[in-house]
Amino acid sequence: MRTDRASEIIRLLGQTSIPSSENISAFSLNKTDCTQVVVPEEVFFTIAAVGILENLLVLIAVIRNKNLHLPMYFFICSLAVSDMLGSLYKTLENILIILCKMGYLKPRGDFETKMDDVIDSMFILSLLGSIFSLLTIAADRYITIFYALRYHNIMTLKRALIILAAIWTFCAGSGIAIAIFSHETAVVISFTILFPLMLIFILCLYIHMFLLARSHAKKIASLPTSTVHQRTNTKGAITLTIFLGVFLFCWAPFVLHILLMQFCPHNPYCACYMSIFQVNGTLILCNAVIDPMVYAFRSPELRSTFKKMFCCTRSNWK
Amino acid sequence: MSMHRLSSNRTSQQALSNSDYTWEYEYYEYGPVSFEGLKAHKYSIVIGFWVGLAVFVIFMFFVLTLLTKTGVPHQDNTEPSEKRFRLNSFVADFGRPLESDKVFSRQIAEESRSLFHFYINEVEHLDKTKRSHKTPGLDSNICFQEVPRSSGRFEEELNCLTKFNIPNFVNTDQNSSLGEDDLLISEPPIILESKSVIPASHQILN
Repeated sequence: MRTDRASEIIRLLGQTSIPSSENISAFSLNKTDCTQVVVPEEVFFTIAAVGILENLLVLIAVIRNKNLHLPMYFFICSLAVSDMLGSLYKTLENILIILCKMGYLKPRGDFETKMDDVIDSMFILSLLGSIFSLLTIAADRYITIFYALRYHNIMTLKRALIILAAIWTFCAGSGIAIAIFSHETAVVISFTILFPLMLIFILCLYIHMFLLARSHAKKIASLPTSTVHQRTNTKGAITLTIFLGVFLFCWAPFVLHILLMQFCPHNPYCACYMSIFQVNGTLILCNAVIDPMVYAFRSPELRSTFKKMFCCTRSNWK
Repeated sequence: MSMHRLSSNRTSQQALSNSDYTWEYEYYEYGPVSFEGLKAHKYSIVIGFWVGLAVFVIFMFFVLTLLTKTGVPHQDNTEPSEKRFRLNSFVADFGRPLESDKVFSRQIAEESRSLFHFYINEVEHLDKTKRSHKTPGLDSNICFQEVPRSSGRFEEELNCLTKFNIPNFVNTDQNSSLGEDDLLISEPPIILESKSVIPASHQILN
């Protein structure tokens, strides 16, 4: 997929040799043109660095603590890896742009085109990995709730690793295929349909879990001496809304961009939407920062592992 | 692709200067986009998309909140004791890292309290039936008479007890991977307020 940022490197390298006068005469832009909304590189770098660091911390914590060698945490690690890949993609792109600025990279070389392809497939890999990791986390929680007594038999460590291997192989293959065939309409449509389908499926799982928790809360409330407040279920609704909201707000703008790029590149309305592409990219980086907070840091065991890690480093300094 | 078309026009010069550093789209090579004669605001898709997204998320939130209040009947296929075990193991929470063990034990205490109540009620009922049939001097006969009548009831009670003991039974059965792991495995995405449960169990334990 020729994402705009990645291919802008190539474009930039080519652009410099064309005199600016030719630019102006070749393209008559209206004054009411939608100019691209530029996000400063420093912002990109900062958010990407924070995302990478956070997800790396999650990975280190899970690897270090033996108690966390469980299917649930492996799925959270998978999500952390895919978020890290997404942030790495942005960082690499920015580094390449800076190298172009400084003139170290040869323009239009094979290396740059190949780098472009590799970067694009890495981005799609991260996107697909993210979606599938969220799906496995939801499915794992669903099995925990509805098959609680058989959970240990259904979700063994070996099965979890097999599932993760299968998912990542599929995502890698799809990433390469989509990057190569990104101009095909069928590829774009199938990619775009995958996103809402996954979202609806995850939503159904969580709503079913939510309904069960609600009925349990009602049963507890019906016991003679218990005082369960209505706030419990409001908190559940808030949590579900946060999951849904983060997923939608971070990914939907980009998916819509891909759709519009394929179907109406010349339409002025679509062009105005596509002018905020860098903001959409920033949102994907923000997703990498927010996901650990929403999924990983809610576990008390993981939080205590972090505290131990930081306390150990502090005591080492002393 | 459009990039290759561009390369054919290129000169061999490769030096970059900061003044030429501009961000441009690849696809505006297709031709200029005319912005004249627009009926709606040019950012209408952007605004419409974000407003629609926000409305959808808020709508979902209200639907979920309403679900909690209107009490949509939920068909449970499993035994109530099993579900109660599940619920108790989940209400272990996100917000209390230090108290997770205590919460779990308190909830087991709460459940056993409720089972205890049930058991007490049954035993009281049994005692009442015994006392109602008691006549002086015929204790042994009564016992013998009572036994067959109440044995079925007692068996039922035993069954009930074993049924309600399933959570504890399962708990010990899965001891191999128990401890904190059990809580961690069953951590739900939904935060159920266990604060209200703990004061209740406090009342019972104290």
